Amino acid sequence: MNQRDVELLSAYLDGQLKPSDSARLEARLKSDAELVSVMDDLRAARNLLRRLPQRRAPRNFTLTPKMVGQNPPMPRAYPLFRFATTIATLMLFFTFGLNFLAPQMAAQPGGMGGGGGSDLFAEEQAPAAAESSIATEAPAATEPPATEAPFASVPQATVLPTLDGDSRAAETEMANTGSAADEEQAKIANEVPPAPVSIAWQIALAGIALIGALFMLMMRQSAFRRWRQKE
Amino acid sequence: MNEPALIQDAQKGNVDAFNTLILHYQDSVYNTALRILGDEDQAADAAQEAFISAFKSINSFRGGSFKAWLMRTVTNACYDELRRQKRRPTTPLEPDSEDGEEMDSPRWLADPSMTPAQKSEADELEHAIQHCLNNLPLEFKTVVVMADIQGMDYTEVATSVRVPLGTIKSRLARARLRLRECLQGFAELLPASYRLEEGKAAL
Repeated sequence: MNQRDVELLSAYLDGQLKPSDSARLEARLKSDAELVSVMDDLRAARNLLRRLPQRRAPRNFTLTPKMVGQNPPMPRAYPLFRFATTIATLMLFFTFGLNFLAPQMAAQPGGMGGGGGSDLFAEEQAPAAAESSIATEAPAATEPPATEAPFASVPQATVLPTLDGDSRAAETEMANTGSAADEEQAKIANEVPPAPVSIAWQIALAGIALIGALFMLMMRQSAFRRWRQKE
Repeated sequence: MNEPALIQDAQKGNVDAFNTLILHYQDSVYNTALRILGDEDQAADAAQEAFISAFKSINSFRGGSFKAWLMRTVTNACYDELRRQKRRPTTPLEPDSEDGEEMDSPRWLADPSMTPAQKSEADELEHAIQHCLNNLPLEFKTVVVMADIQGMDYTEVATSVRVPLGTIKSRLARARLRLRECLQGFAELLPASYRLEEGKAAL
């Protein structure tokens, strides 16, 4: 018995032979007892397998959107909040970096020149300068750095006297108590260096980021809640 | 069940539509996995994995027999499971009794709807068949499970396994012959129904 005959017999049992092949095999089966015996073996195995009981699935294999990594549909305003939160957070971190770097830049002339950061630096610097102008009630003195800010590069700023926060505060105190000339001098000394971003801006940015994140969280929770109810 | 419409919806990401298809095919998928792996828990895991994977790749279904396409996913999940088994220490497919002897009628093959006598007879037959299936090479086992247990035609099996029709015929013939040889070793264990089948075949 060769492999070819076994294949023929197996396909014959499944009705998969061409009529001409079937007729030839049937003719051989009439005279070949071994062929008949092998066909019986194949048929017995086939019947046993076909009689195996189909088991019921032990549980339902239905999928939940979570299983396939789907998220519930979010409200239309969600991307807006996400954008605002991201920008506010990035800007907040940037102001921290700026406040940290500004005194160092002032100490090292030309330590950081122009580049992509200078525009943003100027943007932050302008409101900061404006705020301090309100604090000192000397708008005229504060105008120049504010208007010049977009063009003022960092190296330009670093040429100016180095003053840390404490010494600047001390200067201001002195200016308040001293003569008008001294006051003017102190004001100039106080205003001209690139003022780090004021705390008010940082609080505002943190507030935007926090409120945005809070809204996003609420939107997500309500979207998931609605989704679960639907399921 | 409007299968083409459900498939289309599932392709657009509709999980509910795909779940309707799952409910229709889950018994076939589970049984295929069970016969290939020989273990209920592993078969359930493989079936679940197969459905997850099928949903994620449903866009690769381009028509034809959905069952054949699904069976391909199941066999892949079974092969993954077998590969995982090879990598970690294996537990025996057939549970042992307390004294270490292999159980003739393990709980994992029992069907609660039968009388004890029927159950014992069916258990032994099923156990013997599963034992012989476990001894088959994987590519033979896959083909014989699809053709003889799932009743798929040659074309469907060929689509599923992605081998030529001639190879399917050859594997099926050899698998049946090997199963028959293996089952003859269980002749004294097998119930009357099997001997009746043998008697019928001899006529």
